[in-house]
Parts: sequence; structure tokens; C-alpha cells
Amino acid sequence: MSDLVLQNIGKTYSNGYQAIPSIDLTIEEGEFIVLVGPSGCGKSTLLRMVAGLEGISQGELLIKGDQVNNKEPADRDIAMVFQNYALYPHMTVYDNMAYGLKNRGVAKAEIATKVSAVAQMLGLEELLTRRPKQLSGGQRQRVAMGRAMVRDPKVFLFDEPLSNLDAKLRVQMRVEIRELQRKLGTTTLYVTHDQVEAMTLADRLVVLNKGHAEQIGTPMELYLRPASTFVAEFIGSPSMNLIPSRVEQGKLQLSVDIQLDCPHVSAQSVMFGIRPEHVDISPLDQADVPFIVKAVEALGAETLVHGVLQLGDGNTPAFIVRVAGHHHFEGGETLGLTLPSQAWHLFDAQTTKRIEA
Amino acid sequence: MSVYFPQKYLPYLLLLPQLLVTAVFFLWPAGQAVEQAFYQEDAFGLSREFVGLDNFIELFTSPEYFASLLTTMVFSFSVAFLGLAVALWLAVMADRVIRGAMVYQTLLIWPYAVAPALAGVLWWILFDPSMGPVALALDAIGLDWNHFVNGDQAMILVVISATWKQISYNFLFFLAGLQAIPRSLLEAAAIDGAGPSKRFWGIVFPLLSPTTFFLLVVNLVYAFFDTFGVIDATTQGGPGQSTTTMVYKVFNDGFVGLDLGSSAAQSVVLMVIVALMTVIQFRYIERKVQY
Repeated sequence: MSDLVLQNIGKTYSNGYQAIPSIDLTIEEGEFIVLVGPSGCGKSTLLRMVAGLEGISQGELLIKGDQVNNKEPADRDIAMVFQNYALYPHMTVYDNMAYGLKNRGVAKAEIATKVSAVAQMLGLEELLTRRPKQLSGGQRQRVAMGRAMVRDPKVFLFDEPLSNLDAKLRVQMRVEIRELQRKLGTTTLYVTHDQVEAMTLADRLVVLNKGHAEQIGTPMELYLRPASTFVAEFIGSPSMNLIPSRVEQGKLQLSVDIQLDCPHVSAQSVMFGIRPEHVDISPLDQADVPFIVKAVEALGAETLVHGVLQLGDGNTPAFIVRVAGHHHFEGGETLGLTLPSQAWHLFDAQTTKRIEA
Repeated sequence: MSVYFPQKYLPYLLLLPQLLVTAVFFLWPAGQAVEQAFYQEDAFGLSREFVGLDNFIELFTSPEYFASLLTTMVFSFSVAFLGLAVALWLAVMADRVIRGAMVYQTLLIWPYAVAPALAGVLWWILFDPSMGPVALALDAIGLDWNHFVNGDQAMILVVISATWKQISYNFLFFLAGLQAIPRSLLEAAAIDGAGPSKRFWGIVFPLLSPTTFFLLVVNLVYAFFDTFGVIDATTQGGPGQSTTTMVYKVFNDGFVGLDLGSSAAQSVVLMVIVALMTVIQFRYIERKVQY
């Protein structure tokens, strides 16, 4: 049985603003689903609707087959980790973790067993008598997770749990969250705006844009076959190069000398896309298109070259090339680029949807 | 924050106006009161005689003084408790309002702008036994209201008048305190299975405790020392001594009874109490209740 089912779920606020028109999503038991999108895309709203902190305007929400639309948050058997952790400042770590069990009338001895088991798993044994104020950011994060885990809920909900941590800790906690989730096998819904976090954590990703799901799929599906220009730009860093182009008589006009057959394309104006890492630098006389270097970002392991393409019709669209290793380029230098056709992505310029080959 | 002044005299010059005000309106009269507490003066101020601690001895052996101490305690703790409880309730309600929140909040703050004597007169009119609407309404339901005769009713009246003014002040602090509690804490508690009343007593109330403690001291100080106007405008300390608080007794003995020595001695006692309360305030409130 599917664990968490969102059927035609929508949210309209009382002032008439439609935050989420309609979303369908079926989550299997033990799956790690990441909701990702820019701020204001409705990802947090959706998570809070699942938690019961926001009302559901339309559709059905099923947890393990039960319709929970109108159930209180406490009765949905979910646990949530908040962005600011939301630890109770006047309680010790132990009491923070025990609070949910106490409210549910669990016996004291059982609470103690459960809390100490979780504390051991998270390495919190030494901190049980401390107050949240006396903990570091990473420790607070861990307590917040412990509070969620101790109740052994059907679904974990994470609302940008790592965004208050520094970069190093964020990577460490990311790995830890993934491991814990695998070990516990609890179905998880995780909200983030960080695409690296999304790619590394998710079994499946839901890319949200203005309240609707642009694409739902595994990280690699999204990377290799983005369903729209929005997903193409959102997944991958630096994001995919997109160049407005035309198709005339079944041929793509990239305003350069190369013309490629694309008889399947019926749209006239298209977006031509290629990822910065799929572009090759080659001698000018063998290249598809000349590229003028504007700025170079050397990161050691790779070099990002920002510049513009010099297209035949005089257009100079911005373009990024990502080269492995360290290379030296001068600003103003002209390089030749080859754009391997197997790395192309074509999108309808009107609908922004992917045109399948 | 500390600021360094190159010239030595500038900081003193800047402080001078406040120091002058303190000296002229507080230190000098306070000094006079302390001096006077050791003298017996005739009603016209023509002659006086040094009596040592006699004024204090007489004070502490007078049952009337202890009666007024008890009255003050009853009055102050009633005002503080009632003021805090009602203000907290109003703040919780106002915090929930979404539409027109500013209107409610502004209206609830208004009573603070009313002068104490006016507040007293207002309640005095409302509760006047022969024409006050509240008193007449109470009569109609069979409760005979006459605070000129009934001491307990007089006490209730001054407590209501004094509390009413203080509620606005408390309300402001409680509302600010409530709004400082992150929403996510209450949401987390809701997910943790705490119902509305558990959330209030288990999360909100403990988190408000620094505010509550601060307001408790402020309200006690207010009820002790700042309610002369309210009492004078409503009951004048009567009937009998039933609403004569310590501050009111200072005024009454000094300016009505013209026993200036005893009045001065009572002032000195009050000064000691103020000093104690200030110490408590600095000790515990400046440090705050820490989490």
C-alpha cells in the first residue's frame, strides 16, 4: 500500500490567492521525497498541509490509506523538523524529546527507554540534561531530529532543516539524515530550496514552480531529461545554457553554420539547451560556434568559463562552459566550442515543455 | 555600551539637568522628611521638638498602622494579580485576532493614557450608590451596593479602579511577549499532541515568565506607591480605614490630621520599602529569568 497519497491537493487562501492549484503525488513506503523549488513556489505550504498546520482547500490526503484532511496534526502520526528547530527553550533535551510521548500518555519507563535509544543513535546521551540554549547549531538540529524519531511516526516531514547550519555541517548532516532515514525506513517528505541537497537526498524529486509540479522523478531523470526549461535551469549547477532558436523546415537554426535535422519538431520557436559540462573546447576551425571569454572562475577541480556565444546572426547569448581541472583563459579570448548533439535538449519556447527526440 | 569623553566635565554637564531635578524634587524633600521624622511639630509649623525615635515607636505600636499595612497588602496583591490575569487573557485574545488587530490593540492601550484621578472619578460615578449605572444594576439583581458604608465593597471599588488603569500597561508587555514566541514552537507542540490549554500552560506561560515576573514587581510598586490619586478620587481611604493604604495614610495623617512627625516617619518607612523593591528589581529583573 502506498504510504502517503496526495490526490488533486490544492490550496486557496481566503483572500482568493491560489498558492497550489492541484498536485498529485503517490509516495511508497520508505521513500525519501524531496520537494524543491525557489522561494514562494508553495513547497513549504504543501508540507504544512501534509502536517495539518495549513488547511487543505481541495483534494484528498491519505496516510496509509486513511483520509486525514481534517485530522489534527497530532492525530496524523507524522513528525516534523522545523527550519529553526522549534525546540522548547525551557525544557531540557530529554524533556524536549519526551514531550510528544508524555502528551500521548506513554508510561514513564517506556519514555525513558525510547528517548535513551534515540539519544544513543544520535550521539546525544551526554546532552540530555542540557537546555537548547547550551547547544551548538548542529546539536540542536540533532535534538530536533531526535524529537521526531522518538515517536516512530509513519511520516517524517522536514522543512528546510539544514538551512541554518554552516556549509561544512550542512554536508555532514545531509549524509547523516540520509543514513538515518535508510536505517529507519520511514517515509520522508523533505523541503529544500537547495538543489544539491535535493539531488543527494532524494529517491524522487518534486520540482515545484508557482504551486504546480513541473516534474516528478529520480534525480538522474531530472538531470538527463528535464521536462521543462524551469527544471532544466533549476537542476544542475551552474544551470543549463538555454538559447532561443528557431526551427525552419525541420532544421534547427542556431544562427550558426551547423544545421541539424529535427523533423519531429513542429514548433517554430524553440529553446536550445546544453549543460555547461557537456560542451567541449576545440580548435576554432573544427568548432561549431565561437565563444568569447568574459570571466573565469577557477575552483581547482573544475574551471567555469563565463562568456558569450558569437552567433551568425549577430546575437551574443550568455553561455557558461564547465571544464574539468584547472585551465587558464584570458578575458576577451575567443575559444571554439563543440556542442555534441547527444547532449542537446530542446524545449518549446511557448509552452517551455521538453520536445522529445 | 560605554562612551569615552575626552573632557572630564562634559559628562557631568550633560547629566546636570537630571541631577538637578533629582536633587530638588527628590533628595531635598526626602532629606526633609527624614529630618522631620525625628521631630514633633505643632499643627501650624511654628515650633518643633526633637523626639528621637518616638515617632517610629509610636508607629510600630499602633494597631492602625498595621491595619493599613494589611490593607496595603490586600490591595496591592489584588491589583497585581487581577491586573496580570486580565491583561494576559486580553493579550492572548488580541494575539489571536487577525482582522483589525491594530484596532483592538490600540483600544486596549487607551486606559493607560487616562490620569489616575480621572480613572478614579470614572469608577466612582459608575459605582455611585444612588446614581451609578453599575451600582443600580447590582441593586437590581439583589446585591446592595454601597461602598460608603461597606468596607469590602470600597476595597473592591479601589481595586477595580487601580487595576483598570494598569491592565493596558500589562497588556502591552504580554502582547509583545506573546508575539516574540515563535509560531513554530506552538506548531511543534501541536504535532507533539498538546491541545490548546496544554500548549498555553506548557509552552506559552513558561516562556512568558520573565515578562510576568517583571510585571509583577512593576505592578506591586504601582499598587504600593502610585495609587494615591485613584483612592483619593473614589473612597478617600474610607469608610473608616478600610481603604487607607500606607501611602494614603501618609497624606491623611500629615495633611488632614496635621501630625507631620508621624507622617514623615511613615514616609521614611515607605522609602525603605521602595529601596528594597528596587534592589529586588535590579537583582532579578535586570538579570532576567534565563533559559
